Amino acid sequence: MRAERFAPYLLVAPAILIIVVLRLYPLLLGVNFSFTGDAEQNGLAVGFDNYRELFADPLFRTALGNVGLLVLLLPVAVAIPGLLATFIYLRVPGHRFYRSVYFFPAVLSPVIVGAIFNLLLAFDGPLNAVLGSVNVGPVDWLGDPDIAMFMVVGVHIWATFGMALVVFLAGFATLDSALLDAARVDGASLPQVVWHVIIPSLARTIQFVLVTTMIGMLTSMFGLLFVMTSGGPEGSTYLPEYYIWIQQGQMNRPALASAASTILFVIMLVVGMLQIKLLERAGRDK
Amino acid sequence: MSRLRLGRWAVAIPMSLLALATIYPLLFTVNVAMKTRRDYILDRFSLTDALRWENISTAWNSVGMGRYFANSLLVVTSSVVLLLLLGSMAGFALSQLRFRGSSVLFLGCLAGLFVPFQVIMVPLARIMADTALIDTYPGLVLVYVAQFLPFTVFLMTSYYRGIPSDIIDAARLDGNSVYGVYRRIMLPLGTPALLSVGILNALFCWNDVLMSLVMMPSVEHRTLMVGVTSLRGQYSDDIPTFASGVLIAAVPVLAVYLFLQRQIADGVAAGSTKG
Repeated sequence: MRAERFAPYLLVAPAILIIVVLRLYPLLLGVNFSFTGDAEQNGLAVGFDNYRELFADPLFRTALGNVGLLVLLLPVAVAIPGLLATFIYLRVPGHRFYRSVYFFPAVLSPVIVGAIFNLLLAFDGPLNAVLGSVNVGPVDWLGDPDIAMFMVVGVHIWATFGMALVVFLAGFATLDSALLDAARVDGASLPQVVWHVIIPSLARTIQFVLVTTMIGMLTSMFGLLFVMTSGGPEGSTYLPEYYIWIQQGQMNRPALASAASTILFVIMLVVGMLQIKLLERAGRDK
Repeated sequence: MSRLRLGRWAVAIPMSLLALATIYPLLFTVNVAMKTRRDYILDRFSLTDALRWENISTAWNSVGMGRYFANSLLVVTSSVVLLLLLGSMAGFALSQLRFRGSSVLFLGCLAGLFVPFQVIMVPLARIMADTALIDTYPGLVLVYVAQFLPFTVFLMTSYYRGIPSDIIDAARLDGNSVYGVYRRIMLPLGTPALLSVGILNALFCWNDVLMSLVMMPSVEHRTLMVGVTSLRGQYSDDIPTFASGVLIAAVPVLAVYLFLQRQIADGVAAGSTKG
């Protein structure tokens, strides 16, 4: 029976060890790296030099600018699945079919999605062939620095909105349907129902989707960038995660990459906190 | 009421168009994979005149997709088994057993959720290199387990919280040790959650490209998704073979989706509502 006292610790030990050694400790190690030098200065403390270099690098500035673009596009990425989930919840004809079709791209790897859209968006590809038949274009979808990032983000939203849809539907399952019935009896229109009933009741779900969608945009677009544009054209589709990978893997600048990693981590913390703050305020106004 | 019904159909039309936009890219790819090169160059859209498998076998044999497929299968299977084992052990202890420090340990596991791989890529690669685990199967398995364990522990803990503690007390009175309770009671009772989490983890690992790119530099250890990224350079002028390689990588996921859609959606939903 003596050994039994240690049983809970033995059950938890492997999980906690792996998480501490391979996730939490590297986080501290990485922040530490970011204040040391690369190449001949390897291991020497260099203060904020890496950070200065980062902000002077046009590629990293583009990457940060693109993060700003993602933040601007975030409402779109959340509103689309939110609206679709509302329609499915209100039982449009064929709602079961829609649900399973919309969810399908969410299980595909970004690499596969990127490869498929490389085919569709190629300069001599099908999309331009269709546009050509009505005398438009051709447009260089992935080769024009002004368009490429929008295309990649668009494909990312196409590929992931099904996940958010499922999360919204799970939130709807907890919704009190008496509220909806009352609104209907009062003759509320659909936009009124969405604004006055659904959005306030689903505040927590919306918050969760906002945060996870933003985190997804910041940490799961690597596959698309790698396959569709490789950061080009002219570095216009860089995001911090791609920059980190290039500096570490291609340029052999691990300390500089660590500084970029640390900034990415700070961005994620700020984004998370901001959104929670905003929603709390929105909740109080109601 | 009639106005509302009309409104519903006005919604159904864009929804159908969106459904088409969701499915079409894949159908297009399947169609292209069946065509000859000449056919594709002549007309991008015409339906293939026959079901050809040559392109698929070319991709499987000459590009090495077969080898990459086996690598992925080995790494993903090992990772999922380990994740389920360690996740359910920790989940059981954290939800049902009372011991000093349990809430600190639970928070420690959860903290891992807020550390994305990109943020620890550099130090983690260095740790793997220092321990000679870089470019080995166990190394990548460990990286995957570390990546998805926080989520797995979180889900298993919240699932096991819903199991009445009388069941565990009764089993203890029957003379089971804590380990006996885990093996005879908790594992069988956890089946639905284990299935959902297992499928989700399998998808995450199978679909990953960044971690395997960083941790598996050599060609013979390449996973399938990294293999897909190398197709573009090799087959830029042979689109049907390129499309076939993409399909090979997508087929297992499509199969899982067709048969286990329910469990995947349940896992995603559970991850969002338990928070």
